[in-house]
Amino acid sequence: MSEILLEVKNLKKYFDTPKGKLHAVDDVNFSIEKGKTLGIVGESGCGKSTTGRVILRLLEATGGEVLYKGRNILSIDKNEMRELRKEMQIIFQDPFSSLDPRMSVSQIIEEPIKLNKLIVNKEDRYNRVLELMDLVGLSRRLINTYPHELDGGRRQRIGIARALALNTEFIVCDEPVSALDVSIQAQILNLMKSLQKQLGLTYIFITHDLSVVNHFSDDIAVMYLGKIVEKAPSEELFTHPVHPYTQALLSAIPRPSLDKRSEKIILKGEITSPINPKANCRFSNRCNYAEDICRETEPSLKEISPGHFVACHLFDGSK
Amino acid sequence: MNDYLLDIENLQVQYVTDDGTVSAVNGIDIKLQKGKTLGLVGETGAGKTTTAMSILRLVPHPPGKIIGGTIRLDDTDIFNISEKEMERMRGNIVSMIFQDPMTALNPVITVGDQIAEAIMIHQKLNQEKANKKAEEMLELVGIPGNRRNDYPHQFSGGMKQRVIIAIALSCSPKLLIADEPTTALDVTIQAQVLELMKELKTKYEMSMILITHDLGVVAEVCDDVAIMYAGRIVEKGSLQDIFLTTKHPYTEGLFNSIPNIDNRKAELKPIKGLMSDPYNLPTGCSFADRCDYVMPICREKSPQKIFFSENHYTECHLYATDIDFKLGRHQE
Amino acid sequence: MLDKSKKRSQSADVWRRLRKSKAAIAGLILIAIFILVALFAPLLADYNEQAIKINVKERFQPPSQDHLFGTDEFGRDIFARIVYGTRISLFVGVISVSIALSIGGFLGAIAGYYGGRLDNAIMRVLDVLLAIPTILLAITIVAALGASIVNLMIAVGISNIPGFARVVRASVLSVKDQEFIEAAKAIGAKDHTIILKHVLPNSMAPIIVFSTLKVATAIMATSSLSFIGLGIKPPTPEWGGMLAGGRNYIRDHMYIVMYPGMAIVLAVLSLNLIGDGLRDALDPKLK
Repeated sequence: MSEILLEVKNLKKYFDTPKGKLHAVDDVNFSIEKGKTLGIVGESGCGKSTTGRVILRLLEATGGEVLYKGRNILSIDKNEMRELRKEMQIIFQDPFSSLDPRMSVSQIIEEPIKLNKLIVNKEDRYNRVLELMDLVGLSRRLINTYPHELDGGRRQRIGIARALALNTEFIVCDEPVSALDVSIQAQILNLMKSLQKQLGLTYIFITHDLSVVNHFSDDIAVMYLGKIVEKAPSEELFTHPVHPYTQALLSAIPRPSLDKRSEKIILKGEITSPINPKANCRFSNRCNYAEDICRETEPSLKEISPGHFVACHLFDGSK
Repeated sequence: MNDYLLDIENLQVQYVTDDGTVSAVNGIDIKLQKGKTLGLVGETGAGKTTTAMSILRLVPHPPGKIIGGTIRLDDTDIFNISEKEMERMRGNIVSMIFQDPMTALNPVITVGDQIAEAIMIHQKLNQEKANKKAEEMLELVGIPGNRRNDYPHQFSGGMKQRVIIAIALSCSPKLLIADEPTTALDVTIQAQVLELMKELKTKYEMSMILITHDLGVVAEVCDDVAIMYAGRIVEKGSLQDIFLTTKHPYTEGLFNSIPNIDNRKAELKPIKGLMSDPYNLPTGCSFADRCDYVMPICREKSPQKIFFSENHYTECHLYATDIDFKLGRHQE
Repeated sequence: MLDKSKKRSQSADVWRRLRKSKAAIAGLILIAIFILVALFAPLLADYNEQAIKINVKERFQPPSQDHLFGTDEFGRDIFARIVYGTRISLFVGVISVSIALSIGGFLGAIAGYYGGRLDNAIMRVLDVLLAIPTILLAITIVAALGASIVNLMIAVGISNIPGFARVVRASVLSVKDQEFIEAAKAIGAKDHTIILKHVLPNSMAPIIVFSTLKVATAIMATSSLSFIGLGIKPPTPEWGGMLAGGRNYIRDHMYIVMYPGMAIVLAVLSLNLIGDGLRDALDPKLK
């Protein structure tokens, strides 16, 4: 039985807005085993990125616990957290804004090593940078170039090298390939997969792209308006989606093939923002199957088959 | 007289900047029949948007310059008419939808007025009639007409894109160019908007050019597909030709780069390397450096069009000697 | 986007673009001349003999071979006084802007970076200062502290703090939400490291432009204060003071005010030209 690296319990993050409290992340629970990938999928505004940032304490949580190796990192102080950051890293969506435009490739990759005083000797540090560049497939001759001289795929490799520069074990990947062209996207996905095998990394993979998440993750959690509505092993989720939202989401993916044209489930309306939400199913106003109970009480996440959780009243009983 | 609504021949567009000259479009031919939808597929920098802007004669000049070729739109040679005549064609004959619905609308004018403005300019209707038509257009794209006095910020992304579609269609153009119309939208909203576009296309018997990088979207909407790479159309054919009998190695590479949603174990086979430097395109085939099937001739001579049927062609040396050459990819 | 292996730093890029503007080059040449004049003043004129010493016999000499710009009402050589006045004007301009930049920049940076209540507190206090016209504020401060070069610099410096704080805050705000700032947090960088290493270097463009323009206004302010007798005390040569002293003789001996006036105009103009040129050169959108 492999060990659990990260466990999130009742995580909440509310933002104060002029219109009221925005429940960006509301009572989210999940856990990830070491060396595995959890995909978090959802549309814009569902709270997936906020979840990733709260776990790394780039945003302070409103409530709940994040247990990393059994320790609640939301309650430790700044210095202890800084220590932990050597193991917990993030890769960002936008390779254009996530790199300081005034720093060269070597400075960017070297910065975490320097800041945390991992390697003090200048020459050793330089060699480590070269090693990291080899690891992520960046040509050594680029060491003195600046981000604006490089294309999106290479910039993303720099971002990955920076995340790996410390003693990284766990990485939150926030839409790491959505800003890239398809042919480059595949290069980066393959790189991240091989790094995971090579270094035993654990990933949270946040994305809106279902085909990417299916390819990449072991387990998938589908989020809607701050809540996890369904969570299952990838294979199971894609073959037996049960939550109406997951079903609609899966059917909406445009498939690049001419056979298997499935009938699309077109949802009505659009996602709203979860400001002062009522205690009901947040999907009920767009759901094609909504009943009275959906509009009145909130469903909780229940296990319907081993490892497959869903939060929907339709599956409460024997249905 | 021919039955093509749009006929582009040997179009060449360059951008002249301080760093050198970029050949964005290097001699492409597109023929589009009435009522058909063409998918223009390619990655960043392939020249898709420049092609579209050329059709509207809106390539920014400087730095952009159309250096050769002809575009016949609705039997008019658009490079030989005055700016005034061109203005009349934009909106009435050809209309465009842009990628970003967030910035394409004026934030201080109500959506109804923005649609009415387009109608008044092109159809010489009075204010009252234009307003009424604007309301009809909103209903047509699935927005209640009574919301015409709302401002763009009161609409979500998907609804803004609907408003933009309403503006583009308000003068019933014969050709609609949609530049990545759903890229900025979420999947469920994308499905709604694509559904709407398909519906309207049939209703108005419009021709459409859909610019996208997403082969999934192409499969949903298009009749014909043109794959662009480094300013050239490397393969063109019907949807079935491209998806079922893929010929060009780049097209094959695109398919292999997309994660297969029905088989999560399938390995991704990315195209190696990067798009060639547009300032300095190599002689011969621009794709040669990234191609798995590269031959010595590819680096010496630009490939010519090779036709497999009247409609399906590719520009690749692989078929010059052996027209039955088979790529590695086999259809699932 | 280009894959050029040759290293091209951003400052080289800026210089390449700046060179293209003729106006900016003219400004640079002019200001270089002023700086050289200030540095090598003793080679051009003798301070005690020509710029300070009263020489009644030589009063009101029109420009000639001996006195390039003529002499003033005390028989002092106007050219020599302008040469030494350059030192004072540039010095006061640069120092007072440095004062304003360091204090205003610090306040603006922490207000912008931390936001919230701290931001509100700092900016409201500075708004009060901003409500008073700069020159009036400077006059008040000099009047309170007494007229001297040091006090003049302090006065002009303080009165420019709110402006600098606003500019720095605005550019910090535009930088701090970018992902590379979050990335720096994620690798364990402390706040002051983030501000000094990431935020400020990336907000430099508008600050540099603003500083250049503000040196020009500081020179004007110095001259204005000297003109109304609150700045540099005679006989120390200062452009504004020279204007003030010569204004009674403007009808018969125009050259007494004309040359110092031209010196002020040229210095301010050259800095403005450079500032405008830099603004265009630093704008990455024009790349």
